[in-house]
Amino acid sequence: MAVAYKDYYQILGVPRTASDADIKKAFRKLAREHHPDVAKDKKAAEEKFKEINEANEVLSDPEKRKKYDTLGPNWQDGGGFEPPPGWQGGRGGQARGGAREFHFGGTGFSDFFEQFFGGGGSQSYGFPMDEEYFETGGGGQARARRGSDVEGDILVTLDEAMHGTMRTISLRTSDPRTGQEETHSVTVRIPAGASDGRRIRVPGKGAPGSGGAENGDLFLRVRLASHPDFRAKESDLYHDLDVAPWEAVLGTEIIVPSLDGSTIKMRIPPGTANGQQLRLRGRGLPKGKTGERGDLYVVVNVVLPTQVNEEERALWEQLAKTSEFRPR
Amino acid sequence: MSAEESSSTDTQGLYSIEAVEQLTSTPRHQIAVYYRHGLLSTVGEPESSGWTFDDEAIHTLRRLEFLRAQYGMNLTGLRAVSDLLRDVERLREEIRFLRGH
Repeated sequence: MAVAYKDYYQILGVPRTASDADIKKAFRKLAREHHPDVAKDKKAAEEKFKEINEANEVLSDPEKRKKYDTLGPNWQDGGGFEPPPGWQGGRGGQARGGAREFHFGGTGFSDFFEQFFGGGGSQSYGFPMDEEYFETGGGGQARARRGSDVEGDILVTLDEAMHGTMRTISLRTSDPRTGQEETHSVTVRIPAGASDGRRIRVPGKGAPGSGGAENGDLFLRVRLASHPDFRAKESDLYHDLDVAPWEAVLGTEIIVPSLDGSTIKMRIPPGTANGQQLRLRGRGLPKGKTGERGDLYVVVNVVLPTQVNEEERALWEQLAKTSEFRPR
Repeated sequence: MSAEESSSTDTQGLYSIEAVEQLTSTPRHQIAVYYRHGLLSTVGEPESSGWTFDDEAIHTLRRLEFLRAQYGMNLTGLRAVSDLLRDVERLREEIRFLRGH
């Protein structure tokens, strides 16, 4: 069954011609407003946040955005549709009209995203798997063959990754030949310290086995949701901090957000270079079970005023005359 | 017709080698071969923590066995494919990170 087309541009409140920078800006603003870690009504915020993240996942990736723009509301139509490379129907892949389809709900990714952009909902390595799997035409007994595994992504906020969480996802499968639909609800534990890309196995929720053999498994891959304040790289966090040129030259004290909601006061030393990373040890994400945490890096980004009043201009001109700084 | 069922799967996500053998239908000597050739990782060192595997290992093993069975790949081929897949993963993560995710 098809999933309703979502207008990602509308969700982020940007025109279809929006630049990457505009999209990033719009996302950050909305993500801050609706982030479940800070919102008052967490339940409502969660749904909205997932929607915003989904839109951002697609529109901030040039390849995905291009495909989304091209396919648009007509993605369900068979005519003229070219499957993306690697998305092959051959080995029991998820070709429409052929194999059983898998739809995930509550993972933070829409079916549209999973079916076409790979990494999710696509049949993965069963044991063993070949064309015979899908030919269960009348007559002969199907060989006892374990169902193939299915893989999907699950969107997890940094906070959930930090503390661990239980997530309920719904798995709906529909057999295009019989029209039979089944919906399963599964509770999955996301362990504390789960990093991006980590696989979590959900036994028996993959493709059904044939000839009485067992079902394949569902593998959920953790995908860390973009956070308005942090980027994650394994167990380290990165916070991009904009500073004025005089702050970098003279040094200053600033307040940096922390993932647990608190704030950290830190000093930008005088003579800090653009792009310099200042490390705060142990303020990152948990590393495994030991309680050890990665680090938080504050990445200094010196930004310049693009418009100055007369008095400021005079000061800059004086600085230009007085300074011995020669960058070239 | 639709059926609703609820199942709670609190998988600690750790498996003994016996469990892995059963889940992947791979004999343990083959598992050991893969480990020795750097194609499979354990959780902790086998010498100190014993042979313990995670969900990722189950996935990797099934993939290795699939490649072996379907394409007749030998260890060298498996190694080449594993390295490629790992590099692709790393690149994807790097790109996601650089894009500000």
